[in-house]
Amino acid sequence: MLGSLSVVILAVALLSFGHRRIRSYLRYFQQEEYSSTRFLAWLSQRRAFDTRGTAVMALLAILSVLLPGPWLVPLWSASAAALLLAVVFVVEDDPLTAGKLKLNMTQRASKIALVAEALYAALVLAPLLLINWCCGAPAHAMAYLALCGMVIAQAPPLLLLVANKLLWPAERALQESYYADAKRVLRKVAPFTIGITGSYGKTGAKAALGELLTQCLGPTFWPRKSINTVMGITRAIREQMRPFHRYAVIEMGAYSIGSIARLCDFTPPRAALVTAVGVMHLERFGSAENIYRAKSELALALPTDGILVCNGDSPNARRMAAEHPSGTTILYGLDRGRGHLDCFASDLSFSDRGTSFTLTWRGERHPAFTPLLGRPAVLNALGAFAMACALGAEPAYAVACLANLRPVDNRLVLDRQPGVSFLRDAYNSNPVGFEAALEVLKGLPARRRIVITPGMVELGEQQGPENRRLASLCAGVADLVLVVGRTNREALLAGLADAQFPGERIIAVQSRDEAFSALKDRQLEGDLVLLENDLGDLLEGTVRF
Amino acid sequence: MTDRLRVAVLFGGRSVEHEISVISALQLMMAIDPAKYEALPVYISPSGTWHTGEALLDRSFYSRVPSSLGGLVEVTLLPKPGVGGLTKVAGGGVIPVDVFLPAFHGQYGEDGCIQGLFEMAEVPYTGSNVPASAVTMNKYLCKMFLAAHGIPVLPAAVVERGDAQRNIQGVVASIAADPRFGAYPLFVKPCNLGSSIGVSRVEVPGDLAAALAKVFRYDTQALVEPCVSQLMEINVSVRDCNGAAPSVVEIPVSQSGVLSYEEKYMRDGGKKSGQSQGMASLTRIIDPPDLAAEIRDAVTSYATRSFRLLGCSGVARLDFIYDLAASAVYFNELNAFPGSCSFYLWAKSRPRVLYTELIDGMIQAALRSYSVVSSLERDIGLRALRT
Repeated sequence: MLGSLSVVILAVALLSFGHRRIRSYLRYFQQEEYSSTRFLAWLSQRRAFDTRGTAVMALLAILSVLLPGPWLVPLWSASAAALLLAVVFVVEDDPLTAGKLKLNMTQRASKIALVAEALYAALVLAPLLLINWCCGAPAHAMAYLALCGMVIAQAPPLLLLVANKLLWPAERALQESYYADAKRVLRKVAPFTIGITGSYGKTGAKAALGELLTQCLGPTFWPRKSINTVMGITRAIREQMRPFHRYAVIEMGAYSIGSIARLCDFTPPRAALVTAVGVMHLERFGSAENIYRAKSELALALPTDGILVCNGDSPNARRMAAEHPSGTTILYGLDRGRGHLDCFASDLSFSDRGTSFTLTWRGERHPAFTPLLGRPAVLNALGAFAMACALGAEPAYAVACLANLRPVDNRLVLDRQPGVSFLRDAYNSNPVGFEAALEVLKGLPARRRIVITPGMVELGEQQGPENRRLASLCAGVADLVLVVGRTNREALLAGLADAQFPGERIIAVQSRDEAFSALKDRQLEGDLVLLENDLGDLLEGTVRF
Repeated sequence: MTDRLRVAVLFGGRSVEHEISVISALQLMMAIDPAKYEALPVYISPSGTWHTGEALLDRSFYSRVPSSLGGLVEVTLLPKPGVGGLTKVAGGGVIPVDVFLPAFHGQYGEDGCIQGLFEMAEVPYTGSNVPASAVTMNKYLCKMFLAAHGIPVLPAAVVERGDAQRNIQGVVASIAADPRFGAYPLFVKPCNLGSSIGVSRVEVPGDLAAALAKVFRYDTQALVEPCVSQLMEINVSVRDCNGAAPSVVEIPVSQSGVLSYEEKYMRDGGKKSGQSQGMASLTRIIDPPDLAAEIRDAVTSYATRSFRLLGCSGVARLDFIYDLAASAVYFNELNAFPGSCSFYLWAKSRPRVLYTELIDGMIQAALRSYSVVSSLERDIGLRALRT
């Protein structure tokens, strides 16, 4: 038997440790959208298992075996272990305040945390009381307890999965009731719905179209940021859709074959905008053809008098317009070499204010300007413009409205500062966006041009070669390149070497924060820094528990 | 000793100037005379719900909206006479209020909307009444009304959102054909907003459509005005205190405007102007001693006349433009509830009026006009229906 004080000290220490750990892992579980498979994959790939708690418990076990002595030892060793666990608690970041994406204690997260903590408490208290009651010798009891503690320290991530499974039936019922509620709102408001999909550019195009429709035609609903799943859209509809909304612009994310069809079933589109069909998320789909099929579900969902607007620069979006034409089918783009375009931009020039270009719509030329930067932004503006005009907007007024578009956060946004300026393009990079960002970086005035990037991900087999290619292009524009993290380090360094970029102008760092501190030491007034992509907590740096 | 009057200070609101209103109201509640009045803060959230509670006096509260609203009591003002105050949304109890003090800037609060609700509820309220608030909020109506009474104003054209949406090229062409707008730059601004949001200085005709589209993000009407190339702004506050009384004038100074002010407007070349106030680095010069008396007198006289003509009450600020080249003064706009109640002008006026007295004056004026309105006969009994 241990003294009751020792039992209490150990219990409190282990429970506090678990409380924090459950929340720390929950932050990542939440970022993996509560998917057990993805969370487990992350756990094993990043080897994010507990080491610190286990080490403390192992130490306690060894001490208990090596120093069997008078009655005071259990109290001393329990206190020492509690102290070490407290140190772990203090040293580790608070998940509610740390990281790029902090833990958001939503109702669902709170419920999962609560159930996981209850399970954890049972896991701690049951052996503690049982062993303490059964074991005569204090040293033995402590050793057994410490061994149990080693197992308990590993439990938090698994308990989250169990809690999530236990809560799932209730969660599903809740989600279904929300879904039905959103459906009811949609039926009542009955907005003219435009679906947007694409391998990239859909969030920017959604914002541009939402703005243009609101300004040119009437009140428009669109879920902000990159909300593009059934649950995300359900929530946005319930919270933000109002009876006066005449149009709804819905971004539809393709996560697998059938996911867009499900979204079309939920918010039936009468018009569709396809920004690009590329190879993003190739791993999830298996083949480029599957990506094409998944995205085509949007065109197929249109009624016979529907409107299909496709990016003619993307061969597969052009193919979709040809294979699944609608009542009105429109092609827009920048590259007239690929075939007919109803709407295109030419004579692009970039300045600190934005992009100037000539917009041609059905043969009529308009001088145009948008505060957005880069070819992808102009493409999005063109797609939104073509859709708005197809829906009845006056082209000259829609051109005027393009001049007032607002940039979407972290999508090639220029942040001019008196000292060092930033070109923020941290959102989900892809080869087209990366190349366009380099073009803008080159086109804007700067003393030196600096690129900070972890490279691009989710490109399947193309990931290595594409990162290598873009790194070579960086070499032609940048004076200094900071390579972040290990994910694409090899490919990026190889690309820079291909272009004979001098090694002394390359800095490889572990994390974005490290990149910023390295930049601080070297930056000069007038530097322009391109922040290209940000991999988020799940992929960046090392996770240590 | 009589009981203190409870003054409901209403602020926030559904306007782009929400934050400025919060700042004005917090300042005002600090300055209100606690011996005579008990200030009851009533915050209208951006979504339009009304709340009251002590926490509203803490500035940090507003950075946590909407989650911080949970700790407050939600109230409303029912549009019927005789309630006696604010009605609690939960439970329906009444929080007694003696006077309402709307401290809003911009739409719904300074434009006659909330004043209409006060009229419906038959409660005393400070500031201008419904028609004065509505006319002064619409820059075009206000200018045309005052022009008809001989107050000089710059030419202006109104563009309706619907017209621009349908035929922007026609709108731009008609402005180009208007001789009053022959010379660029032009100013394009929202007709019904008080702040500088949506305002553009259009340098070339090609940018006019985009500037109009920018206004129509916020307003249904855009105002197009010529841009006086060499100008000085002169502002003055007027309050009703046994008639319209003006404050000292102020000259808001931008970095680029200081030079022309000193060189061209000061009788002695401006050697001591900004510095004499110790405010040269600030954005305004209050009571510039070197400003030509005739300019100051013209502004003050136009201001008091305009205040009376429009039927304003409480404290207003009237902004004028002085055209350096033409030596002409133009009325520009009137703020029915100016930022910070223009107390900084009254503190320098002769006689000096402290903020506390300014608020006292507003409340007393509200009670006076309430008693006048209450003496009007409204119920003449049933006649037409009885026959």
